[in-house]
Amino acid sequence: MKEINLDVLRDAANRLLFDMSDEEYRTLLEEFGVLTRQMETIGRIEGLENYEPMTFPFDCETDYLREDEPETPLPREEALRNAGSVQDNEIKLPKVVL
Amino acid sequence: MNFEAVIGLEIHVEMKTKSKMFSASPNSFSREPNTSVTPFDMAYPGTMPRVNKQAVINAIRVANALHMTIDPLVRFDRKNYFYSDLPKGFQITQQFHPIGRDGYLDIEGKDGQKKRIRIERIHMEEDTCKQLHFADYSLLDYNRAGVPLVEIVSMPDMRNGTEAMHYVEAIRNIVLYSGTSDGKMEEGSLRVDVNVSIRPYGSQEFGTKVELKNLNSTKNIETALDYEIARQSACLLSGTPVRQETRRFDEASGRTVLMRVKTDAVDYKYFPEPNITPIRLSDAFVQDAIDTCPELYDAKRERYLAAGLSGTDADIILSNIDMAAFFEASIATKPALSKIVANFLIVEINAYLNKKGIEMKDLPLLPATLADIATFQNDGYTHKQCADILVHVLENGGTAEEARIARKIEKQSSNDDEVLAFVTAALDANPQSIIDFKAGKDRAKGFLVGQVMKAAKGKVNPAAVAKVLDAELAKR
Amino acid sequence: MSYLDQSIRDIHRALVERLTTPLDLAKEVLARAKASKDNAFEMILEDEALAFASSLTEPEEDNLLWGIPYLAKDNFSTKDIETTASSNVLNGYKPLFDATVIRKLREKKCVLIGKTTLDELAMGGTGTTGHKGITYNPYDPSHQRMVGGSSCGSAAAVAAGIVPFALGSDTGDSVRKPASYAGLVGMKPTWGRISRYGLFPFAPSLDHVGFFTRSADDSAIVLSTLAGRDDMDSTSSVKPVDDYASASPANLTGKRIAVIREIVDSITNPEVKASFDRSIDALKEAGAVVDFVSFGLPELQAIYPTYIVISCAEATSNDANLDGIKFGPFLGGKTYQEVMSNARTAGFSELIKRRFVIGSFALMRENQDVLFLRAQKVRAKIVAKVNEILKDHDVIYVPAAPGVAPKIASSSDKLSNEYLIADNHLALGNFAGLPSITLPLTLIDGLPVGINFMGRAFEEKELLSIAEAFENISGLSGLSVHEKKEARL
Repeated sequence: MKEINLDVLRDAANRLLFDMSDEEYRTLLEEFGVLTRQMETIGRIEGLENYEPMTFPFDCETDYLREDEPETPLPREEALRNAGSVQDNEIKLPKVVL
Repeated sequence: MNFEAVIGLEIHVEMKTKSKMFSASPNSFSREPNTSVTPFDMAYPGTMPRVNKQAVINAIRVANALHMTIDPLVRFDRKNYFYSDLPKGFQITQQFHPIGRDGYLDIEGKDGQKKRIRIERIHMEEDTCKQLHFADYSLLDYNRAGVPLVEIVSMPDMRNGTEAMHYVEAIRNIVLYSGTSDGKMEEGSLRVDVNVSIRPYGSQEFGTKVELKNLNSTKNIETALDYEIARQSACLLSGTPVRQETRRFDEASGRTVLMRVKTDAVDYKYFPEPNITPIRLSDAFVQDAIDTCPELYDAKRERYLAAGLSGTDADIILSNIDMAAFFEASIATKPALSKIVANFLIVEINAYLNKKGIEMKDLPLLPATLADIATFQNDGYTHKQCADILVHVLENGGTAEEARIARKIEKQSSNDDEVLAFVTAALDANPQSIIDFKAGKDRAKGFLVGQVMKAAKGKVNPAAVAKVLDAELAKR
Repeated sequence: MSYLDQSIRDIHRALVERLTTPLDLAKEVLARAKASKDNAFEMILEDEALAFASSLTEPEEDNLLWGIPYLAKDNFSTKDIETTASSNVLNGYKPLFDATVIRKLREKKCVLIGKTTLDELAMGGTGTTGHKGITYNPYDPSHQRMVGGSSCGSAAAVAAGIVPFALGSDTGDSVRKPASYAGLVGMKPTWGRISRYGLFPFAPSLDHVGFFTRSADDSAIVLSTLAGRDDMDSTSSVKPVDDYASASPANLTGKRIAVIREIVDSITNPEVKASFDRSIDALKEAGAVVDFVSFGLPELQAIYPTYIVISCAEATSNDANLDGIKFGPFLGGKTYQEVMSNARTAGFSELIKRRFVIGSFALMRENQDVLFLRAQKVRAKIVAKVNEILKDHDVIYVPAAPGVAPKIASSSDKLSNEYLIADNHLALGNFAGLPSITLPLTLIDGLPVGINFMGRAFEEKELLSIAEAFENISGLSGLSVHEKKEARL
């Protein structure tokens, strides 16, 4: 596993596009200490290797597929009404540098 | 030292389904900005993905055409990253269980020999929203957000630009003729990312990979790769290592230009999409998707050849799916006319489309009318006469028969007795021409044909006249 | 006794007999809501509620929910009504559509009175982390005790007798734990039984729509309306929906009830323990066979870290859409990254950010094996164990919490080294997606504490029958701050 220190955590937070206070990073570092130890302990649970990682709580295979029939789209004003930055019926951002 | 190029392609194909991949928004991104949007496409909280049945059917058809193993349990995963064009902050894709695996495609190599390109995977995913960039801002249009895509990933089996071009052409034909996509590279509905590296011949190692983007025609793929392979070879020969980078093809100069140097690979933190439970496709469903797949390019081509078309003619017609459809509709009840119909399409109709600057689908002509015109030719009207009828219909509408009458076109006789009468009369009236002909003046024969045609008022077939004339001249 | 303090069936009877009207009920609800000092509301929809209630003039005899007022947690999408999930990142967001459960209740002519507070984005268990501050337990007017979370406002409002039922969501225990602290029935059915369309996701593989009522019968009535397939949520089940409302108290004779020994053993509060023991005696007396089963301490200790890893991993992905671009406060920036970062930095509280970093870390390529995938394997093993127990038993029976509602001052949202099994075991029902219901057990110094039954997948009717039988034992059906009851256990 990746080594965890304050810089790594700050980098991880910044990659999630937010920042925190220094104190919060320290709290987080402590939490990671706790979680890492617990997950290590858990790793020793007997027979874990016999289990497949579980995403769904039980077997819930389906055969449902949506029919390819278009629905009425949103009126444009409605689609954009919650956006804080709109120009010419489009959402406006600072120039995205490719 | 001689180098060999190692080329692998990732092709994204936009499907032309009626609705989007995971939402029922209309899939018509040519509309006004932000008018083909439902809450899911803008990632409104609480919206959930609903897998489009037709998209799955299309993916099965393409996978089958590429000889792939189809996974009957359809599963999706999340690819997590932040970008301005990605509304949810993740893309739903099929990282762990692509719908198709381990296929191949046979293409024509540079030397004209058949070459097999292995295909690693085909998977379904959703497109991002479209960004329009201006001097100091960008605008976001969500019409494209959620448009269904299939991504086809080849093995690094191609060795030169021509192979890559042929591979893309073959893929385009499959997605086009299976009804999956319009496959237009120039409009971005078929997008090709190329990975290319070079290595000394005989080496099994891979060199440093360069990614090429902005390849919006098959020809550009060939040109870009030829340039890039030469560039990388020159680098190595001069002792400069090839950098891992992304390069853009510059159409004007025919060169590749550095876009960005690749840093550490992005970690997309893939995990299974918890809002789509595994979807079990029955054998019958998969088989039905395959059985109902529209006839593909190769099968059509074979059929056209069997109907008497030359390879070149078949390729020309098939290069335009609308023309192929028109061709087939025209000959549906009269397969014997295939060659005549094909000629009209390739010559007169293509010329007309070019002249008018219109698309095949806008051609003001019914397939049945073209079949009627071809029938005229088959019945003895000359090609020139039939072409005149065709032009008349294109310009004035109406039926072939109406056009024939309007243009006062009469069938020319090929009846030998009838022709013989005119020929005999002409010979009898022009003894000097016979003498001239015997003296080796070829022009005299042309004069005689003209006399016959004049006397017959054009109702005899010039070819038949020439034939009979030859025979009669020999007798005199 | 106000109609508001009665069961849904009794209110229905009064409505049908025109002893009261939806408008009268709505007015009384609004009065109680405005008088409430527990900080249970994100928004009170006075005008909308009165307008809709006054449109309901012809009672529908066969519709038990006709004219019944209710509240919804503010993480259910409500068309044109601001919905924030108690997070600043969604301030001002007015959804374009109704959640399926909101739509179904409206079709049943239920009157939505308001939106209730929650722990920010439903990620928390204390009811103290929403952007409106702490939501208090109505059983403690001194405001020292939490009501629990994350569905804090819904729990507080039903316990305070403001409405007969309220919607919540339950990812770890966010309905069933506060139900224990608030003396309520708190239920989440099988995963997939109720559509999640329009529920703001926290961790979809664990998320459930749930609800608070004051009796098991009321829960059955609400479930009857909410359950069922919805094509907008492809994970919703196509299994036929039972007529839950017709459930009657089970005859407990021969019912096999499993009690997880380690969970009971981990309870340190002697009064809770004694009361729970009495309840077991009473169940036996009623004919049930009660077996103490061993689950395995390492597995039970693994529940919370496993839950944290899975839920935070899913959450960091689900909430990546909260970037201030399409909805929520747009705070500007010089680049698109800055736009997003400004919105997210200002919009999320520190607790949420820490959880996102943990979740993101768990998903990183080099960490997945030891964090996310390991947690998913542990989940598989735990679920296998739960199902093994339910092979031989009709239900699993445990205390819902280690004690009465804790004091707010003693609470912490930091991850702790202690393995608090009794505080976290309800997540078993989320891991396995099984129907689970909390009911009041007893009152200790006037503060409620609850128990929990968990049944087999899609056997909600059986679970509700057992719950109704239990209510006959506990005598606490209909409990609220207004309707004090004498605890028997």
